Amino acid sequence: MLSYVIFSLTTAGIYGLLALSLNLIWGGAGMVNLGLAGFFAVGAYASAILSLAGVPVPLAILAACVVGAATGIGATWATVRLRGDYLAIVTLGFAEVVRLVAMNERWLTNGTDGLPGIPAPLKSVLGPQGFAVFYLCLVLAILGAVFFLLRRLDLSPFGRVLKAIREDQDLAGFAGKNAMRVKLIAFACSAGIAGLAGALYAHYQSYISPDHFQPLLTIYIFLAVTSGGVGRPAGAFLGAFLVILFLEGTRFLGHLLPGLSSGQVAASREMLVGLAFLLVLHLRPQGILPERIRPAPRSQP
Amino acid sequence: MTDIFQAVINGVLTGALIAIPAMGLTAIFAVLRYVNFAIGSLATTGAFAAWMLNTHAGWPVLPSMAGAFVLVAAAGLAIEQAALSRLRPSGALTVAIASIAVGIILENMLRFGFGNDLRAFDLPLMRDWRFWGLRVGPQQLQTAGIALAIMAAVFAFLRFTRYGKAMRAVADNPDLARLFGMEPRRIAMATVALGTGLTGVGGALLGLDSAIDPMSGSRLLLPIFAAAVLGGLGSIPGAVAGAILIGIGEELSLLVIPATYRSAVGFLTILLVLSFRPGGLFGERAA
Amino acid sequence: MTQTTRRQFLASSAILAGSFALPLRALAQEGPIKIGTLTPLTGAGGPYGPVMADTVKAVVAGVNAAGGVLGRQVEVISEDDQTNPEAGVRAARKLIDVDGVSAIMGTWASSVTTAVAPLCWESGTMLTTVSGADSITLLPHEGYIVRTQPNTILQGRKFGEFTVELGAGKVFFMSPQTPFADSQFSEITKVVEAAGGSTAKLIYDDKKPTYRSEVDELMAFEPDVVVLGGYMPDTTVLLKDIYRAGYEGKMLAFAYSVNQKLVDALPAEVVEGIYTIAPSPAEGSAAYKALTELTGIAAPDPYTTQIFDQVNMVLMAIAAAGDASGSAIRDSFRTVSQGDGKPVHTALEGLEAIAAGEAVNYDGASGPCDFTEEGDILDCQFRYEQVKDGAFTLLKIA
Repeated sequence: MLSYVIFSLTTAGIYGLLALSLNLIWGGAGMVNLGLAGFFAVGAYASAILSLAGVPVPLAILAACVVGAATGIGATWATVRLRGDYLAIVTLGFAEVVRLVAMNERWLTNGTDGLPGIPAPLKSVLGPQGFAVFYLCLVLAILGAVFFLLRRLDLSPFGRVLKAIREDQDLAGFAGKNAMRVKLIAFACSAGIAGLAGALYAHYQSYISPDHFQPLLTIYIFLAVTSGGVGRPAGAFLGAFLVILFLEGTRFLGHLLPGLSSGQVAASREMLVGLAFLLVLHLRPQGILPERIRPAPRSQP
Repeated sequence: MTDIFQAVINGVLTGALIAIPAMGLTAIFAVLRYVNFAIGSLATTGAFAAWMLNTHAGWPVLPSMAGAFVLVAAAGLAIEQAALSRLRPSGALTVAIASIAVGIILENMLRFGFGNDLRAFDLPLMRDWRFWGLRVGPQQLQTAGIALAIMAAVFAFLRFTRYGKAMRAVADNPDLARLFGMEPRRIAMATVALGTGLTGVGGALLGLDSAIDPMSGSRLLLPIFAAAVLGGLGSIPGAVAGAILIGIGEELSLLVIPATYRSAVGFLTILLVLSFRPGGLFGERAA
Repeated sequence: MTQTTRRQFLASSAILAGSFALPLRALAQEGPIKIGTLTPLTGAGGPYGPVMADTVKAVVAGVNAAGGVLGRQVEVISEDDQTNPEAGVRAARKLIDVDGVSAIMGTWASSVTTAVAPLCWESGTMLTTVSGADSITLLPHEGYIVRTQPNTILQGRKFGEFTVELGAGKVFFMSPQTPFADSQFSEITKVVEAAGGSTAKLIYDDKKPTYRSEVDELMAFEPDVVVLGGYMPDTTVLLKDIYRAGYEGKMLAFAYSVNQKLVDALPAEVVEGIYTIAPSPAEGSAAYKALTELTGIAAPDPYTTQIFDQVNMVLMAIAAAGDASGSAIRDSFRTVSQGDGKPVHTALEGLEAIAAGEAVNYDGASGPCDFTEEGDILDCQFRYEQVKDGAFTLLKIA
């Protein structure tokens, strides 16, 4: 049981990083990234490929952040000036392209076989259980560090500019801030954090494949950020742990439905995930930890 | 040269199918200003509805399609009332995200009821007609014909009926519509019924052409979105043009790139078009 | 923190983690024997996973009704891998750490199996799979993986040989991107070229509503035989477009994609004459017959036949070892699957023989079920069938 809890907490920590990444641009700048799984994949593959080629793991993880951020800029430089809806759909398409490349470019990614044997730092020294404990600490430490950096950012002038842009892009433009540049930087940071999460996942699992990075993961992270509270890092943090608690908790409800086939039990579980999502949106549209700064009254579109 | 003509024909036929749900998506966006991610599952619902009517109730194809429209429109209205409309004050993005949840629930309701097995309409299949080295399927032509008729009906509805005119007015300017004494709520509901109903028929037509399982609609989410975005969200002629362009683009691309990258073509097309026209081909606003 | 103290800290936390895991192991000796299924109930593998999970439940229900294994009841815990290794790993952790299952059966997608495998060998849990990627049995799995799906080299060669037998000079291979598409194609090519023929392949995107232009490429090659490497949903769409294009030649597919459900869903003229290949037991197999009676399915899917064999062998291995742990299953697996023992065809039959002190050799519904040290099928026959008037006609087993 304990090793299950340790595993779930580690996964929640990695989800937490993704939630912070999403919160930075969604809560921060009002941009929606439906391609989160794509940036997660880019980071995971970057770190895996580099470390399999002999680069030390810490360096590979750092490189994954940089590659993630660069990909973020590449994917959005043309679209960052678009309305939110357009950006959302472009990022959704981006994630699909990442999956296609991972599937088809065998020379780089080993195709649909995936990359096994990704170095897991210190695992040979610590053994499986020691490694699990160590990795949980590592992920939580990194999550904590990113969390505090983002909180600092939230309160910094850059953070305030971001929020101003979210509320009214034109106004922020008038005030002399280069809105496009600020948004691009925010998106790059966000993609970098998603890349970091991907790298941590790859070294934790030692195996990644194109199948790992399906859109469902992005949906889970949206669930985390929405339920925790958009616009507040602590909300994203809390939301990620709640999502894992919920996803894992619903497994134990199966026997409450006797007489259903295996397929129906699985369908019920997914329905429950959707329903919970809807309920949270209805009951607490601002999330469990709402943003503390009241947003300026927004003009009716 | 024949290759190119054939690819264009194939593209138009596929595009005509994608166009119907894309019109539904864009109509809802035009009036209610949110992107409805549930359309994938709504299309699947339409396919299952038409399939049930055709194979279990013994209805012919056309009435089954009409039945799919009505059933999915009713489902769409119920969803809008129960799950989405109250979220509108929280912003369009919140509604869009809630529609993702609705999509998950719908897909799994279908899975619960029908299982994951494949279904197909109980219709004989016809060989293609061949001429000048090209080939066209009679059934594809028929399906494309139905799609065209639906498009024509929608355009006529928007141009000549009171509701249609009101929808266009609200789409252009919500405040203006209020001045004309039209109740925005009823117009919104009529739009939801039209948009989701179209998506349902679109799904049924796609099911007629291929096969149906609980994920058949969600597999098409990307091309549908790409079509609507390419044409400019909110523009109904744009959705049709976008769908046909993406259809042709995908088929033509097969002549030069591996078939596995077909899905990427739609994405690259929208990236390219949006770089030059940020509002899409027929988009009304730039940002 | 100095070097030594950090090492001490890490060591002590490892001991701490270990000590928490211990009582659970001890507890697992009481109460029912727990085994798990991890099949795709949602996602791309959805057409296959539910019936696999339900088959295991049906087998176990029969065994429990006859008194269970080692005098204990058997409990099956079914989890959904969502055809997604990320979700699959979470589900497997729950099966291993919380339920304490000693075997996980039925992983389908190669990516899920590869992701779950390390958890299994690290925790000493048996893993039986139907995944096709050759790389799986090459993992350092210490004997904890057994695969009932023949590997690609064996299968590819059979496909190639059969196309030659059908008189093919030109063979066109169409498949979505899978871990075995490339190697299967190269095996087919080897055989066909040796017989003086030629081959071509097209890897397609398996999410498309139509494949007209892909089929145009097929028609341009003018093949004698088309080999279909996909799964049920994409193959359905593809077959319709191949028919519409007026292709009159022969077609050959995996029996798991062109199966009874696909044949029922499509008009008879579209599927008429398609050949299928599946790993198979000898003709008139008692296990195959037992499976059709148990599930009520006249022509069970190859995956269903395989998971039926997996659960039978796992239950017998537990009985033969006199111990329900994962390592005991691993150690005694081959004593029940192969050897000179009495041939048995169901768990019920085998358990009875084992209780009577006899050695057994299981002959299953998917084949003789004899395995190499690496966990691959030693040898198996294949079942060649052809669709005639909406039903499968057995051509030969060879």
